[in-house]
Amino acid sequence: MNKRIGPSARLKEELTAWRFLAPALLLLLTFLVAPFVMSVILSFTNQRLVSPLPTRFVGLRNYVRLFGDAGFWQALKNTMLFAAVVVPLQSGLALFLATLVNKRLPGRNLFRGIYFMPVVVPMVVVCVVWYFLLMYPEGLLNTFVQILTLGRAGPYDWLRNPSLALPTIMLVSIWQGVGFQMIVYLAGLQNIPRELYEAARIDGASSWGQFLHITMPGLRNTHIFVLVTTTILAFKLFTQVEVLTQGGPLGVTNTLVRYIYTAGYRELKVGYASAASVIFVLIVLTVSLVQRRLLREEREVG
Amino acid sequence: MRKSFALALLLVLAGAWALAQAPVEITVWWHTGKPEELAVISSQVEEFNASQSRIVVKLVNIPEAEYTAQVRAAGLAGKLPDLLDLDGPTLANFVWNGWMIPLDEYVSDDLKADLLPSIIAQGTYPPDGMLYALGVFDSGLAIWGNRRYLEQAGIRIPTSVEDAWTLSEFEEALRKLASLPEVQWPLDLKLNYGAGEWFTYGFSPIIQAFGGDLIDRTTWTAQGTLDGIASVLGMTLFQHWIEEGWVVPASAGDDAFYGKKTAALAWVGHWMYEPHTQGLGDDVVLIPMPKLGAGCRAATGMGSWAWGITSTSENPDAAWEFLEYLLNPDQILRMTAANGAVPSRKSAIAQSELYGPGGMLNIFVEQLNTIAVPRPVHPAYPTITSAFAEAVKNIVAGADVYQELHKAAVKIDQDIEDNEGYPPFGG
Repeated sequence: MNKRIGPSARLKEELTAWRFLAPALLLLLTFLVAPFVMSVILSFTNQRLVSPLPTRFVGLRNYVRLFGDAGFWQALKNTMLFAAVVVPLQSGLALFLATLVNKRLPGRNLFRGIYFMPVVVPMVVVCVVWYFLLMYPEGLLNTFVQILTLGRAGPYDWLRNPSLALPTIMLVSIWQGVGFQMIVYLAGLQNIPRELYEAARIDGASSWGQFLHITMPGLRNTHIFVLVTTTILAFKLFTQVEVLTQGGPLGVTNTLVRYIYTAGYRELKVGYASAASVIFVLIVLTVSLVQRRLLREEREVG
Repeated sequence: MRKSFALALLLVLAGAWALAQAPVEITVWWHTGKPEELAVISSQVEEFNASQSRIVVKLVNIPEAEYTAQVRAAGLAGKLPDLLDLDGPTLANFVWNGWMIPLDEYVSDDLKADLLPSIIAQGTYPPDGMLYALGVFDSGLAIWGNRRYLEQAGIRIPTSVEDAWTLSEFEEALRKLASLPEVQWPLDLKLNYGAGEWFTYGFSPIIQAFGGDLIDRTTWTAQGTLDGIASVLGMTLFQHWIEEGWVVPASAGDDAFYGKKTAALAWVGHWMYEPHTQGLGDDVVLIPMPKLGAGCRAATGMGSWAWGITSTSENPDAAWEFLEYLLNPDQILRMTAANGAVPSRKSAIAQSELYGPGGMLNIFVEQLNTIAVPRPVHPAYPTITSAFAEAVKNIVAGADVYQELHKAAVKIDQDIEDNEGYPPFGG
């Protein structure tokens, strides 16, 4: 078809396309590409946040210091642990809640609202409220645990106990975020044709069988979306840690983003923080690409 | 033609006259301290504006937690206010970055003689010896005690710095107080404040009492001093109190001493004056810092928020007028009545019931004249304080004391090296 349009007309078409793309491209360039390029450049300098001394190039010194810092490796480990636990747990819980509120039970709209409400509350507010719930020894959560275990399980210092701190952060995060994934799964569930379920029921499939063979495959695209976005969000963990534990105790809740933030803004080491953020972007990129590859391969096979 | 020219000239002259009469507006940044302090400074601004028409002061309240970071961001962008207050030890860093102007031309000899020596020392930039900031008050750090619990446990209450508890008396007191039924934790160290400036201000006196310090103040090297034997001893003692279960944990909130009364002693500064007197009334008593160190040495913190004029200000004279107003002894006493801090002028102290001899807060004045140690005056202070606070945070959680202090010292030395010794400070 293009053979019939003259070359000048094709050029005009292309130009028009570029003109339409231009605003979006400009935004992407200014807010995504340019800062990243700056980060890469700054990571090879000793740039400080404020200093009357001139900035110098220091080559790979920031990267060498980064990989030699135990705090960086700990932050990396914590972030990956957090993602590895929260992503399946939160997604699974969201799917469970979505199937629950998809059924024709009384009050399901009310419950949809209740489960979604934590999502609209800003994370900082969530953390402040949870700080009071987690108080030791008389916070609400401790009282709840004591009632449930009839006083046998003692009050816990959720945020200051090195073994309990990260699971507590996971709990708060899941509580706040599950509503969002639930809504996404709900939309996905409602896209599965009802006839499939009816046909399965006629064929005598149990509800678990229906779930496994109709719901799960039917949600494939939703799964991909939920898993990839939840993973990326999990890697960006910062607010809960900063408000509740400040990376402690003993650094068990420090995350990569918080590590970058303290290096750059608290310790004023912008060059060093840029190096850390370049590594962070590479890690998240790798994880996302691996994830997409794995999920897509399944789709092709199925 | 002539008429319209005359009219235009008249308008221009009228405009110029109006502009000349327009009051000069100065912006003032304040670190939003306690609500009582906020009430005082707000009314001071109102009264100053009402008392004259040449200067209008606009007060901007910035939350304390991110205050220094905000000032830094504004400095970077060149958008500093005319007058701002700053936490004393950050002065060297601000002046080194070129953000402040010297106040020597404004300060009269009388004023200089009336100010406490600690205020002058805090506001002086060592390389040029000029004065860059003046505080309305200086801080006090001591142990607030619940008189009822102390008498119940049969513990002597010291009345002066000379008379303070020794280390064994202090630990014996903690042991006895812990055995009282109403007391869950004998000592509140305000761990709930989190790892910020409090950890450095409140706990570096412990290592200083033992002869250690945050950094060697002549060679400006931290290794060997911060991780030296004296400092390690001091922080090991600190960790020991926590491990014995004598210290209010961070997650237990702020009011164990003055609200729930589950704590008998509070190791905290002057700013808790209002909450403590409101919560405990006559039962509260101020106790000097104990002699923790070998040779019965005691140390306490000093230095607090001070006011300075920025280098980007277009109206430094107007800014000085407002600062001079704040430094008036009556105005100083208004602020210190609200926050329990030590007035920065000797004439104000003399007028005050609280701080004069026999006054409830006289211990603060005594300590400032005897055992108070200033935090290091060096542009690397932000790194020093964040590294030490991080170490304290981990020591509280049970980490190895030497390892943590050593990590902090390495970090500090690295920062000084990265900044080429912060010329002209060297080190």
